[in-house]
Amino acid sequence: MSLSEELENLSKHVIKYGLSLGADQVEVYIVTGVTKAIQIELGSIHKFTETSDSGIGVRVIKNKAIGMSSTTIFTIESIEQTVKNAYSLAKVSTPDSNFNSLPEDTTPTPTIADTFDKNIIELPVEDFTQIMLESINEAKVEENAIISGNFSAGSGERYIVNSQGIERHSVRTSINGYLSVKIQKGDDIGNSYYFDSSPLLRNFEHIKIGKEAGKRAKRMLGSQKIETKDLPILMDPETTYFTVSNILSRGINAFNVINKTAFFIDKIGDKIASELLSIKDNPFYPGGTGSAAFDDEGVVPREVSLVKDGILQTYITDSYTAPLVGLKNTAHASRDSFSSRPRPSLYSLEIKAGDTPKDSIQEDMKEGILLIGSPIPSMGNNPQISAQINQGFYIKDGEIKHPVKNTVIGCTVFELYEKIAVLSKETENRKGHISPWILLEALRISGGK
Amino acid sequence: MLDLLSQVLDKLTLNAKDFVDIRYAYSMGETITVRNGRFDSVSNQTTGGIAVRALINNAWGFTSIIQTDKESITKAVEKAIQIAKVGSKYTDEKRIISDDWVYEGKGETVIEIDPRDIDKEIKFKKLIETEKAARKYSDRVVEASTTYQESHSREFIVNNKGTKVENEVHVIRLMKNVIGREGTKMQNVFDSIGGAGGWELVEKWDPEEEGIKAASQVEKLLHAQTPPSGKMNVIMDPSLTGVFIHEAFGHACEADAIIAKRSILEGKIGEQVGVEQINVFDDPTIPGLRGSFKYDSEGTRTSKRTLVNKGVLTEYFHTLETATALGMKPNGSGRASSFNVTPLARMANTYVDSGDMKLEEIAEIAKEGVYLKNSYGGYVVPAKGQFYFTCQMGYTIEKGEIANLMGNVGMSGMTLEVLKNTFAVGDKWEPAFLGTCGKGGQWVPVTGGGPNMGVSDVVVGGQK
Repeated sequence: MSLSEELENLSKHVIKYGLSLGADQVEVYIVTGVTKAIQIELGSIHKFTETSDSGIGVRVIKNKAIGMSSTTIFTIESIEQTVKNAYSLAKVSTPDSNFNSLPEDTTPTPTIADTFDKNIIELPVEDFTQIMLESINEAKVEENAIISGNFSAGSGERYIVNSQGIERHSVRTSINGYLSVKIQKGDDIGNSYYFDSSPLLRNFEHIKIGKEAGKRAKRMLGSQKIETKDLPILMDPETTYFTVSNILSRGINAFNVINKTAFFIDKIGDKIASELLSIKDNPFYPGGTGSAAFDDEGVVPREVSLVKDGILQTYITDSYTAPLVGLKNTAHASRDSFSSRPRPSLYSLEIKAGDTPKDSIQEDMKEGILLIGSPIPSMGNNPQISAQINQGFYIKDGEIKHPVKNTVIGCTVFELYEKIAVLSKETENRKGHISPWILLEALRISGGK
Repeated sequence: MLDLLSQVLDKLTLNAKDFVDIRYAYSMGETITVRNGRFDSVSNQTTGGIAVRALINNAWGFTSIIQTDKESITKAVEKAIQIAKVGSKYTDEKRIISDDWVYEGKGETVIEIDPRDIDKEIKFKKLIETEKAARKYSDRVVEASTTYQESHSREFIVNNKGTKVENEVHVIRLMKNVIGREGTKMQNVFDSIGGAGGWELVEKWDPEEEGIKAASQVEKLLHAQTPPSGKMNVIMDPSLTGVFIHEAFGHACEADAIIAKRSILEGKIGEQVGVEQINVFDDPTIPGLRGSFKYDSEGTRTSKRTLVNKGVLTEYFHTLETATALGMKPNGSGRASSFNVTPLARMANTYVDSGDMKLEEIAEIAKEGVYLKNSYGGYVVPAKGQFYFTCQMGYTIEKGEIANLMGNVGMSGMTLEVLKNTFAVGDKWEPAFLGTCGKGGQWVPVTGGGPNMGVSDVVVGGQK
């Protein structure tokens, strides 16, 4: 019997066993996988690792009360004990009247192109090492460059089965690389990083990882403190993507909506941002790192428009939250791990481009800050932003003068979305994460000068 | 288990400079969260498996497996050795583990009341009544949640130098998070108690009192003034001092970052890094704190570390590898969060020792600035020596007095500047920051603390 068949049988056994104990509904979530990784220190190999990433999570419902249990021990005794634990926890827990049902979905599982590559599974360790060495070589922009990082490659399978008829299985591969480069000239330190991740070996940009990490580190030399003042901010596509998605994922998450902590509660159909902002979420982007044929409850999602011309179109929901906010399940359920309860989360955003050339946006800045790979997150579920600039540059008369250090941006998520003033016509597409450059009108910048 | 691991190890033929260790790690945990009157999560977790490290010809190989039988462990050891040999072809650095440090023994967290013996209803009651009291206090409280966590972990560690250690750690925590909202303005208050120990550490939690305390703070914060922006004098309360010393300084003292030339404190042992009034320690041997344990995940016996003595840098956090490389003594800092990862040099209970000044005296010296309270957390880039941390609330300092309440804000500083810019150290230290520290994808429980502390030229990231 193959591993897939074994796990399929195991999933079915968990459901049957849970129901036989007296559960009303049962769900099992299994992940299995092996990851090979190379850790780099001082530009050479420090550690080779090969680790198992496997676990089973069981969710049991009894009289609308939910119990969850998980294990990494794949013996039948341990798994049955896990089901018993979940059942006992459900029995002692209080019913949740908001709970409707585990999801049902008979949609055939779609196929997403370019999410599996046997070349990654069969990648010989020597070839994997060669990829890493080529990347390191590109990062050596200076003789004294200190290079560290991590490369990993592996495959993972995901099984979701529930007592309401859902039976899903997916397998995907992934190769990832991250390099950090430090260059020191006396007391002056330039430090930066770059990363890439891909389900396909052929799309993995290992040369770019080294090149960009080295180039960025060199650019960070000569950083200076600046004065406290209000300044416009130009965000590169990486900064734009993570800033916009961080705010959106908290702001329109239906779980936060039902708890009244979502930034954009009761705003469907209302303006939440500059009319220049339009965002789609595409779970089926071929070769996308955020793509998935079904969510972490086994429901098939679809492409959805989240923000159009600054107007909020929908919240993101899962089976628990959808009925509570009066929307259809958008299939955004996501788990941090096999042991977690699912919550809504985004897949892969496309932020619509503008019509201004990127270079002319910068050229027109009299004074401002340019952010490269330096997201501006909110303070958790609070709409306040008080974020350190990790990779920023002071711009005067359209030219980069120097990197900044010891500098913090202070505003709110509402201000940040409203102050989107210009979007570039160029976009960067990082395996389905699509984003332009964005210019924000002046925000408060606290400097150490 | 120790015997089984030793049997596998004994069959290996290794060279004198080779190093192999085998660690069995098993953990059981329970998490209960109540949010707005509903059980959000009632779950337990079991993880267990074998971790094998091999250092052969200057490169490490690491494997982890979930099977615990002799044959599988033997295969995992062979695999670790094999991949280390491949890595060694591409390594320029010299790496060995000294033969000098061999440990045998057993460590166990002292528990007075085993939380596994406490009825679930009693645990539920603490959670439900706390969040209920918070919501009852004010209509502006939109979300009140409480979480209970207990974990019980065991590690068995053997290595070919002779170490044979068994270590058991029990950690318990009770947390509350209350969020208030008025229009688009939101504030939240988070607090927790607990540590390494049993139910006795959370038993004193009075649900009604804790719920009301959090909700009343949230109410006040919704009407607090907007934090200022710019470079200014800052007084940190013990919780902020705790996260500040952890982020700004502790991470830069981790010897793996020193060896990788990624810490601003590389080569600075014996140098003045702060004013003379500053003494910084990290002590996993203090009973009952979140970062307390007797042996680390390499089997090294832990000890109190003196990081800074009268402003002079004196010690780093070491694993066996870093201590050997730098010719220093290991101090039991090699912590791994599970069987699936390797031990890294980590902090435990880090604190600034107390000085002799009262809060009012520190405010008088500061004259103008902010007094910041209750940490949210932070991060650091040790290579650049730039750190960031956040607080939940604070007060303005005007004309030498603590004045108006203000909301949450983040701060930025430079590691090599802040300890030299310290102008006052308070008279009583508390382990007030109960945190979970992240590094290399691993999360471990830690404590931070200190007294009230005054520092000049910190950049505060407010909106006005």
